Parts: sequence; structure tokens; C-alpha cells
Amino acid sequence: MSSVIVCPSCDLAHRVGMAPASVGTRCSRCRAPLQRPENGNIDTAIALAICALVLFFLSNAYPLVTIQVNGTTRATTLLGAALGLYAQGHAGLAALVFTTTVVGPFLQIASLLYLLFPLRSAREAPGQNTIFRLLAQVRPWTFVEVFMLGVLVALVRLSAYARVVPGVALWSCGLLMLTLAALTSRTTPGQFWRWVDRNRT
Amino acid sequence: MSEAPTGRSLGLLVCLQCRATVRALQLPHPRCPRCYAHLFQRKPHSLAATAALLVCAAILYIPANFLPVMYTRTIFDDEQDTIMSGVLVLLQSSWPIAVLVFIASIVVPLLKILSLGVVVFSVWRRSPRYRTQRSELFRMVEFIGRWSMLDVYAISLLVALVQIRSLAFVSVGWGALAFAAVVVLTTFAARTFDERLLWEAPP
Repeated sequence: MSSVIVCPSCDLAHRVGMAPASVGTRCSRCRAPLQRPENGNIDTAIALAICALVLFFLSNAYPLVTIQVNGTTRATTLLGAALGLYAQGHAGLAALVFTTTVVGPFLQIASLLYLLFPLRSAREAPGQNTIFRLLAQVRPWTFVEVFMLGVLVALVRLSAYARVVPGVALWSCGLLMLTLAALTSRTTPGQFWRWVDRNRT
Repeated sequence: MSEAPTGRSLGLLVCLQCRATVRALQLPHPRCPRCYAHLFQRKPHSLAATAALLVCAAILYIPANFLPVMYTRTIFDDEQDTIMSGVLVLLQSSWPIAVLVFIASIVVPLLKILSLGVVVFSVWRRSPRYRTQRSELFRMVEFIGRWSMLDVYAISLLVALVQIRSLAFVSVGWGALAFAAVVVLTTFAARTFDERLLWEAPP
């Protein structure tokens, strides 16, 4: 028995076997990923999400970097980067930085925890479909890895003039970046809906 | 088989949210039975929306590169930096970082605007050539586009840190806003574009 799936990138129809794919498949015409391998244990995803939440709070609670020039010390947090822009009258820019470094990661982690916990015990969270669609909208606006590299660039520029001391949040932010990447790859839409379908049938 | 079977020819829709394949219903606003997202044969007004966003991004690319993104005031002198002069400053301390910033801030946005322009133009002309390559180009552009935010983040940190009034003071320039707008607009341009339009012209 087989069924038909349609490639979302080029609309080509493919006939696939009913067995779940253990290796990823690509569209035969446009080479876009069609089915991702099923590597999904829901407990792993929940563990990663909890880990990400802890790292997120650490990243926001402690200073990111401290600089020392002539006996003067200044530190900034993740939030401080956005607030500094806001204080200078660039509210739009501040909102963009705030959204991509604080709101985006938080919404992603929180909504996944909200959806996955009930799913684990074969229930569905209220508003599941809407929240998963919201998650899909938020995901492309999470730029933690780009931010990390931005921090590095800023540190290199400053190191010529000041003594730069990395803070706790710099390390936790780096770990958050890795955890989020692992979490995202384990909670793709295909994987998520496979968990839902398994409960519904 | 002369014509490859497509979702359209078989009367099937694919949900862009959860990737479920659904039999097309003759309803005015069909929704996915699994995740309740709106279903479209093609994203509405895709080509016009992408083209409009892309034109805005191309126009803003000019002030993004020529307006100063950052002002530095020290006890010795006042300086203003554009994206390019920032790269030159970095070149003196660490060339790998300078190359990285150059690629992320200058090459990537330009490449993104040009590639999306090529893709939109070819769909508009209904060109049947190099479709697989254009499709792969589009997906690559979608993937690397986010890295252009690098300099905006670096500047936001410098602004937050270097506020030692007696010694040095860093403030943001309007170039940074134009630059961020280019990143946001091109990201939306890539999201509104429906890749399936590439495959509609007869081969």
C-alpha cells in the first residue's frame, strides 16, 4: 500500500511507501528535502526544551561581557543591548534586536514545552494548532547564533582599547545556541505532526 | 509519461505549515484538516509582493552602505563609521573577523537581492531554463540571509558597553536602521515568494 505526497517546493506528486522513512528523502525534481528522517523521541525534545529554558534564564540574568578601561568598569546583559539602542532613540532597531534575541527564543522554548508536555501523555494542549502555527512564524526570527558571532565581532573591536572579561551569560548563550539548534532539528513540523497523528489514531 | 503529475494536476493541495497532502475541496477558503492552517494552491499575490519588497530592499541597500552606522566620540577625536570603514578597522586587529564581517554585511545582502531578483525576473518571463539551479539558489539565499544581522548586533553591543562619558561614547547612526531594514525586507521577500512558481512554465 502506498500514498501520495506533494513536494511543497515544486508541487511534484510523489508516491511513497507507508513505512516511515528512516533516512531523509529529497524531491526528485527540485532536490528540496521531502521527508526528514524520523529521529524523534519526544522525551529527548522535552529534555532539550527544559535545558534551553534554564540556559535562557541564565543568559538573561548574568552580564554578557564586562569591559575595563582606566579603572572604569562597564557590563552589559542581553537585554542591555536592546535597551542601549532604545535609550538613543532607535526604538525600531531596539525592537528588532529584542525580538530576535529575547522574545523569539523564549516564545519558541515556551510554546514547545506547552505543546509537548500534554502530547507526551497522549493529550493535546488547548489551542495546539494555532500555537504550532505561531511557532512556525516565530522560528525564522530567532537569531541567537548570529548574535553570538556579533558579540565576538564587538569583542575583537574592543580588545584594542579595553580589557574584556567574558561573563557567565556569554557561555550560557553559546550553549543556548547549540541546544536550540538541536531542539529545532528534533521538532520539525513533520516530526511534530507525526507525534500528534500517533495519538489521534 | 509526458507530463509529470503535480499537486495541481491531481487536485491535491499541500499544507505549507504541517506538510500534509490534502485533496483539494471546492471551498472558498479551504483549511488543513490536520493543523487548520489556510491552504493555497499558490501563495496569494506572491510575485507582486516579493517584487515590491525586493525593490524597497534594493533602494535601502544604498543608504545602508553610505550612511554612518556608528559614531565614536573619544577625548581625542570624533569618528564615524560606515559598514565598510568598520571592516577596514577590523582588518587591522584581526583579518579573519574582518573577512567574515565583509561577507556577512556586504556580500550576503547584495547576493540575496541579486539572486531573488534573478528568480523573480525568471518567473515573470516564464523562463524554463536552469530550474533546479534557481530552486537551489533560492533555498540557499533563504538560509544565509539571517547572517547579515551580524553587524547590527555588534553595534548594539558596542553602544551598550562604550558609554564611559569622560573617555569614549558610541552612538548608533541611521545607516544601521537602513541596514536592518534591508535584512528584514529581504527575509519577508523570501517568505512571500512561492517556489512552485518556478516550475509552472512548460519545459
